[in-house]
Amino acid sequence: MKDTLVNVENLTRIFDVSKPWLNRVIEREEKKLLLAVNGVSLEIRRGETFALVGESGSGKSTIAKMIVGLLSASQGKIDFDGIDLFQPGGAEMRALRQRYQMIFQDPFASLNPRWRVNKIIAEPLRKFDMESSESARHKRVEELLELVGMSAKDGVKFPHEFSGGQRQRIAIARALSSNPEFIVCDEPTSALDVSVQAQILNLMRDLQDELGLTYLFISHDLSVVRHMANRIGVLYLGRLVEVADGKELFRNPRHPYTKMLLNAIPDLDMTGREVARPDGEIPNPINPPSGCTFHPRCPIATEYCKREIPSARNSEAGSVACFEATGD
Amino acid sequence: MSDTLLGVKDLVVEFSTRRGILTAVDKVSFDLERGEVLGLVGESGAGKSITGSAIVGLIDPPGRIAAGTVHLAGQRIDNLPSEKMRRIRGDKIGMVFQDPLTSLNPLYTVAKQLVQTILTHKDISKKQARDRAIELLDKVGIPAADLRIDDYPHQFSGGMRQRVVIALALCADPELIIADEPTTALDVSVQSQIVGVLKKMCSEHGASVILITHDMGVIAEAADRVAVLYSGRMAEIGPVRDVIKHPQHPYTKGLMGSIPTITQEGDRLTQIPGSMPRLTDRPPGCAFAPRCEMAMDVCRQNHPEEKDVGTARVACHLMRKEGAVA
Repeated sequence: MKDTLVNVENLTRIFDVSKPWLNRVIEREEKKLLLAVNGVSLEIRRGETFALVGESGSGKSTIAKMIVGLLSASQGKIDFDGIDLFQPGGAEMRALRQRYQMIFQDPFASLNPRWRVNKIIAEPLRKFDMESSESARHKRVEELLELVGMSAKDGVKFPHEFSGGQRQRIAIARALSSNPEFIVCDEPTSALDVSVQAQILNLMRDLQDELGLTYLFISHDLSVVRHMANRIGVLYLGRLVEVADGKELFRNPRHPYTKMLLNAIPDLDMTGREVARPDGEIPNPINPPSGCTFHPRCPIATEYCKREIPSARNSEAGSVACFEATGD
Repeated sequence: MSDTLLGVKDLVVEFSTRRGILTAVDKVSFDLERGEVLGLVGESGAGKSITGSAIVGLIDPPGRIAAGTVHLAGQRIDNLPSEKMRRIRGDKIGMVFQDPLTSLNPLYTVAKQLVQTILTHKDISKKQARDRAIELLDKVGIPAADLRIDDYPHQFSGGMRQRVVIALALCADPELIIADEPTTALDVSVQSQIVGVLKKMCSEHGASVILITHDMGVIAEAADRVAVLYSGRMAEIGPVRDVIKHPQHPYTKGLMGSIPTITQEGDRLTQIPGSMPRLTDRPPGCAFAPRCEMAMDVCRQNHPEEKDVGTARVACHLMRKEGAVA
């Protein structure tokens, strides 16, 4: 398809969490493997915001890191604009890297405390040899600072002189400096206060409209996702259980896990909607349940669900990985 | 006796630093009735946790309570010597902290921690204390409590650990529970379970709760009344429903507008420009004035008094003006 920017197929990541070799031999233990991401396939279309939601340990951040190349995949394939990300090396890869960037969760950890903001934002420019002269780079940094709603004079300061929200703006400016088409945002607002979160979310939407960006937006907060995303993928224990259009997912959730998550959202409009308390917790991913990993918490699970792993069924509204889920 | 359990009046908490004295909590007053759940909300640095710590007397130097009083069931507790205060903590006031892993001792089993706490406050035998601990764990929703009681904290998941902490806080049947961000470290699905447990336990034990959080969703679900703090001062206090649906203070209005909700249509969130001032450079007058769209001259000069507006109490000059004109 023409409008697909990122295509992920059967992406899998296994972490080896075994004890050291000698301990294993002495204690006669097997290797322990953690299947953090298990056969995830998704496509992100140009210009949209695709959101991944899930609880901790569901593999959201692992997927993000694999897409930007911070982690290697154990299996699977990622295409960026038709080019296989695991194939090329050297110069071709460098050219490709310019086109996607990442914004991290914690703006206190993602900015080098010893560098001035100017240097932080200009780093991608230097690495990718994008502006020829120092003065051109400087000018570009000033533009970027103003683009994210800061003053050009802020460039000479150090990160510790800024509040969390301002730091996240700096991180966004850095991500934008190489003119990327695609930005992976890993919980960009979860370290921020609500009033600041609103500023950053609005800024991200404005930038998307202005620069035609495509976002992969990762969050555990369904209300934020509802606000930001065109399409939403719900993860549970490393598997994508449902993908649907943003509005459709909230109006007509099909997977029982999605339903459970939606029911647990606090009722801020005070409509008197009954907030249902979900049962159980995410199981240990080292020993996931057999069959559909959600079956111990699922209200409609059958014997069949305990044995067989459901694969994603595609329909017009999206895809859902559940035997029992009704179509519409 | 009235039904008031806790009375906090003009509480001021100061920290002396090299750059002068910082007023982290500035003349905060509120009452808490028996059996009531009061939410304390605010952004980071608004003074919500400090207020909670001040009530239980856990402010460490260089911080100190500089003025104001705290009364618990008619007894003044803010000026008690530390030994006496120690008896009140745990006995009359229980605390639940944000991170369940750091509030449990990793070297002791859950049984040991619970039994020890119960024995400190109650005059019963070890066997009875253990039975009571199992009963408490069972009540907070830990499956197979009689088997799991001998586990160590690391053998529990995050949500289960927080349940243990709640059980620990309830050991001595306290009259007041202060829960400081009890759900912040937890996943969404577990978060709503914990709010449920907290609510249920408190109504069963008849305890009052101060629920400190930055999450309006948790407040909406659990609290009866809510107090909104901004830069160490009370901005608005009132019944949850009224404050959420019809906020009066411009800050509360902005705060409510900036929370994305699932029913909301439209593209942009209301945003409050800027961020909360640092305590070192809090402006004279109303602390919110620099970010407030409706700020008048008087707002920049004088700190507003708290005024009764309907069911709520609001600290804003706009309120006085409207009231005076009408």
